[in-house]
Amino acid sequence: MKIKLKFLTLTFISLFFSKLVFAETAPGFNSWDDVVKAADGGQVNVYMWGGSDAINGFVDDFYGVPLKEKYNITLNRVPLKGTVDAVNQVLSEKEAGVTGDNGNIDLIWINGENFWTLKQANLLYGPFAAGLPNSEFVAWDNPAVNLDFGRPVEGMESPWSSAQFHFMYDSARNNYDDMPRSYAELSNWIAENPGRFTYIRPGKGGFVGTRFVKQIFFELSGGHAQWVGPFNQELYDKWAPEVWKLLNSWEKDLWRSGETYPKDNAEMHSLFANGEVDLDFTQSPRGAGPTNTAGTTPPTSRAFAFYENMIGDFNYWAIPYNAPNKAAALVYANLVLEPELQAAQVQPANGFCCGWGISTAKVTDAAGKAAIAEAQNNLGDAAEDQDILAKALVSDIAAEYQDLIEADWEANVLLK
Amino acid sequence: MGGERLKIILSLTPPLLIIFTLFFGGIFYGFLQSLGYQPAIGKYEINFSAYYNVMFSERYAKLFWSGLGLNLWVSFASTFLAAVFALFGALAIRKTFFAKTICNFIYSLNLPMPHLVVAVGIIFVFSQSGLLARLASQIGLIGSPGDFPVLVKDKYGLGIILAYIWKEAAFFFIILMSVLQSLGENFEELAQSLGANRWQRFRYVILPLVMPNLFSASIIVFAFSFGAYEVPALLGVIYPQMLPVMAFEFFLNPDLNARSEGMALSIIIAIIVMILVVFYFWLTQAKIRKD
Amino acid sequence: MNNNLKKINIYAIYLGAIILILPLIAFFINAFSFRWFYPQVIPKELSLQAWVRLKLIPKPGQRTFEGFIELWASNPTVIKALLNSLSIGFLVTIVSIIIALPAARVLGLLNFRFKKLIIFIMVSPTILPPIAFVLGLNINFISWGFSGNYFGVCLVHLVPIMPYVVLTMTGIFANYNPDFEHQARTLGANKTRTFLLITLPAIAPGMVVAALFAFLVSWSQYLLTFLIGAGKVMTLPLLVFSTASSGNPALTAAISIIFIFPAILILFFTSKFVSGESGATSGFGKI
Repeated sequence: MKIKLKFLTLTFISLFFSKLVFAETAPGFNSWDDVVKAADGGQVNVYMWGGSDAINGFVDDFYGVPLKEKYNITLNRVPLKGTVDAVNQVLSEKEAGVTGDNGNIDLIWINGENFWTLKQANLLYGPFAAGLPNSEFVAWDNPAVNLDFGRPVEGMESPWSSAQFHFMYDSARNNYDDMPRSYAELSNWIAENPGRFTYIRPGKGGFVGTRFVKQIFFELSGGHAQWVGPFNQELYDKWAPEVWKLLNSWEKDLWRSGETYPKDNAEMHSLFANGEVDLDFTQSPRGAGPTNTAGTTPPTSRAFAFYENMIGDFNYWAIPYNAPNKAAALVYANLVLEPELQAAQVQPANGFCCGWGISTAKVTDAAGKAAIAEAQNNLGDAAEDQDILAKALVSDIAAEYQDLIEADWEANVLLK
Repeated sequence: MGGERLKIILSLTPPLLIIFTLFFGGIFYGFLQSLGYQPAIGKYEINFSAYYNVMFSERYAKLFWSGLGLNLWVSFASTFLAAVFALFGALAIRKTFFAKTICNFIYSLNLPMPHLVVAVGIIFVFSQSGLLARLASQIGLIGSPGDFPVLVKDKYGLGIILAYIWKEAAFFFIILMSVLQSLGENFEELAQSLGANRWQRFRYVILPLVMPNLFSASIIVFAFSFGAYEVPALLGVIYPQMLPVMAFEFFLNPDLNARSEGMALSIIIAIIVMILVVFYFWLTQAKIRKD
Repeated sequence: MNNNLKKINIYAIYLGAIILILPLIAFFINAFSFRWFYPQVIPKELSLQAWVRLKLIPKPGQRTFEGFIELWASNPTVIKALLNSLSIGFLVTIVSIIIALPAARVLGLLNFRFKKLIIFIMVSPTILPPIAFVLGLNINFISWGFSGNYFGVCLVHLVPIMPYVVLTMTGIFANYNPDFEHQARTLGANKTRTFLLITLPAIAPGMVVAALFAFLVSWSQYLLTFLIGAGKVMTLPLLVFSTASSGNPALTAAISIIFIFPAILILFFTSKFVSGESGATSGFGKI
């Protein structure tokens, strides 16, 4: 009994210490200075979805330059067609037995099911997120941050920014007041405007389309609340046929009669910009701001949201278990949380224009506060009313739904 | 004799080594994986379930067979049309006329153009909001982009065929030009003096002479268009989907089990190409002999 | 021949040339315009923004000589990709010709057992799709440490190139008379001199064509570079592919122009060999 108690105490003590170590630095390093020193003169291979020209430009300009000048790290941004390409590379490396620092990828822009795949297979380095100095600005107590698609993050990824699904229209072609505000209204709108709407195919590279379909589940089933929590096959089976029925009922009035669908948001923007369709999707809390700046949508484009069920989430950076430059990856993950850079990323003029990854209330130094206040004044006129967005905000749901919706959409809508 | 034999063996070894280790080695390893042999995830048993899944399972059968149909259609149509265009272009362009050198250069221009760039160019020109659609709308032929015919990202693979014609016609053209120039016009003149008309000269003089080169070039083009990924990935629709795109998407699935299916599909593509090429070879050889 | 028919023929050629050149026109308009949307035929806003975004032209106000130098010295991705594409292309071209030269000579000049089979094996990479071997090769390359580096990418490029080089040069050697070499040797020239003075000039036109094919195949390789390079070896095809799917046509057009320009330049300088009476391309008649 006594021995057992002693053992327990020891376990607690070691647990306590290990916890403490987590909070101080990332595994393999003694201090943050140690990290910065190890990263000096190296490079960092950043694998990220390259489907937004605006985001690519932002990363090169706003992170590439300070990384080089402040830390002497060369940024090597690798554009991907889908995040799953990077996940796949890590899996291949695991299959081929590549360990230690011998992999190819240092950082992956990630969330949801891709994160879960890697975390479950123990293919991530960490926990490191709490060890970043700028972690103090992150609202780790917020379930929207510490849960990713309902799964615990546990320090294996560090937040970058936030996003929320909603729509764009062209104010030169349509009026804000005529825009649909729910899927029921959208159904009517499609019937009245045949050929002028399409949505992104749910599937690889088309997560925005999956999100669009997911939200239909929420509306038809009478609310988002019941979908929170672990995966529920029964609930899904109950509502899926209704969703496919609705989508099929639209088909004849969709762009090209639903014969095909755009594969990703870039294709959708192009259809919208060239007047082939009238509505477009955006993930940016600044609405049409970033694409208007990049010139890929007409300057008169604006945003609108449904009054309910608009999915929003955080996105993160994760480091693979065999990352060749872990120190540089940590420096990068820390850099993106700098209040000044966070303030830069929310402004439409800078291109990226996702939402905050940090909690602005936690920033206390004068320079950071000034940058944040300045940013709040520069959100642009292409955004939807922030109150409407906030009221419609719902979280994303368990990762299992993602694959299921994509496969079933293909079988029940595309191939039907 | 022994020295010559050694010379032959030594000379042939380096290229054969590359082809055997990298090419056939890769195919062999892919074949093993397609049978479910994946030591890394602890799978050692060997079976054909991946092949069955790809071709006959409820989930993929429709995709596979529609994809195969599209593949056959695209490859046959683009090979045939590219060869025809190149043949007529080459025959016409041999005569002297104004700006011949420039035209000759333009007709060869697509040879060095990468397929990817050609695909992008096809989108720019032929899509429903592309250059041609805009010209059509300027002269009042169409009102909105939707009125323009669907030529790119269409379910019949027209855009893909267009891109392949664009690109491969230049390949045919250059090969034909080199044959025709080395022949000179003597044969034709002879035939003309014997009273052969235009069609007869083409059918019985020129065609048999260029046929061997045309046939081998068309094998390369056919096989290429059957197994290439880039062009259908950019110009294709999501259904039906050409088989190489489908295979690559399998491979990019984070579920390692789907890799067997991806490998199986790429082996199936290889086998089909092989069968078609052998059949084509047999057919054309018989035809050439007959001529 | 009927004169009208002749005229129609020539007009058809002109029309064909115009259609063939349309994509190039679209590339140039796109690359220098901003918000060039349907139904504009002539862009309303001309702009260098795509080139600024690619870091090839400095932002307005910094367009001085120093500005350009400083920008280009910062090693923009496009320049990195361009240099990678060029150097990989040249390297594999030279290596493949060195490897293929003795083999082509033997295949072109001598007759021996299994020759047909060996030729068939050599050309098989042009017939079987790259996707069939690269998916299997990928895992092996990763475990051998060839993945994600320059060397591995060069190695894998040799596979699709080999058949073109062997085939073209076999065609040349088939029309080549080795008697001159014997004469030179009997007159006292050593092996190197004989090669440089007799063999090389005779096969040079064919070698140029082989090199052109080799370079172009490597230059436009996407799938092999993407998989074996693991995204780390950035080349122009990778850049075009990812840009084409990121929705900025101006940017895509600008990169495409950079992508085609060297290729066209090379065609320009080799065109007399390609369509001339060199007989190099007639190697394709011998599959």
